[in-house]
Amino acid sequence: MITYQITSMTIGASLAATILFLVRRDHLHGPYAIWWIGAAATVAILGLFPRLFDVLAGKMGVSYPPVLAIVLGFGLLLLKMLTMDLDRSRQERLIRRLAQRLAMLEAQENPSPLQPPLPSEATEEARSADATEPELAAIPPPLPQRERDRE
Amino acid sequence: MVDLDRPIALIPAHNEEATVGPIVAQVRELWNCPVVVIDDCSSDATAQAARSAGATVLPLPLQLGAWGAIQTGLRYALRQGYRTAITLDADGQHEPQDIGFLLQPLVDGQAEVAIGAFPERASRARRIAWSYFRWLTGLKLEDITSGFRAYNHAAMIVLASCEASLLDYQDVGVLLILRRKGLRTVEVPVAMQPRTLGASRVFRSWWVVGKYMLQTSLLCLARVGHNHRPPATDD
Repeated sequence: MITYQITSMTIGASLAATILFLVRRDHLHGPYAIWWIGAAATVAILGLFPRLFDVLAGKMGVSYPPVLAIVLGFGLLLLKMLTMDLDRSRQERLIRRLAQRLAMLEAQENPSPLQPPLPSEATEEARSADATEPELAAIPPPLPQRERDRE
Repeated sequence: MVDLDRPIALIPAHNEEATVGPIVAQVRELWNCPVVVIDDCSSDATAQAARSAGATVLPLPLQLGAWGAIQTGLRYALRQGYRTAITLDADGQHEPQDIGFLLQPLVDGQAEVAIGAFPERASRARRIAWSYFRWLTGLKLEDITSGFRAYNHAAMIVLASCEASLLDYQDVGVLLILRRKGLRTVEVPVAMQPRTLGASRVFRSWWVVGKYMLQTSLLCLARVGHNHRPPATDD
């Protein structure tokens, strides 16, 4: 006869094991790994001690404990999704800036044969005006031909 | 004759091989200024056509849309040291002769951005959309979506920034950023040709229009209370 404790323990332990496995295999990048280790710990503890929620619900004045678990879980999922979209927007911005930078570099590599040479004395002011993004500002301006050949 | 202050012409193009060449040639011939075509991931020979007409081509590796392409051009122009930029569509809607009218308010110090407006071109649906956005934002412009514009140095810096990189369209969002930074925008009436080939990227289908209206409305509402800063004194 399988008790509900064995069921919850199995679910919690296998979820936690999967997450730990993925983190150890470097499939999750730094900050995400921290969130998921926390999640693994939570499911493991709740799986081992399913009564914890009954105690917590009693203290919080919730008469039906599973609802508290569902609401908390749902809230955390929403929060996680929100931070995911925030991060995706940040990445979208970076990807767009990178694509633009790539197009500019490519144009420098293949200048138009008919166009008069562009003013090369692009001022530092103009460069710094463009390099407003901290992540990309560190990228140095294109190397002179000689150095590029050496690389 | 207008002092051009070394302007650069920026032409975003997506599959416009039939029209981009003649436009590049025309702008170069009339204004003797450098022309940059931003190739927004075209699948046809747009880049070759532009290059053989004498343009510098910025080939985008991902399709960023009209605004992403224009921003690429603005960033490039700033890096090359240009202080005035003109944008025009690659489909032949805009008359390169009118570039002088666009530059005039910038030279006079009347505004930081000049928009070539031809509101008569708009369909009924588009007019309704524009008046809705005018009402929502308080913008006083007639032709909100015109891609025929001139930007001075201050406007170029603002629009080349990361802040403007997540915009998807070159109209309301861009105008709101300019207003928030205290930059003045004027409209200059110009003539416009009917599109010879291709169709508007926005007014294509009801689904796209709906998405555009919803996204732009949200953008306007998100900016409530950010408006009406005193104009910037100088660049």
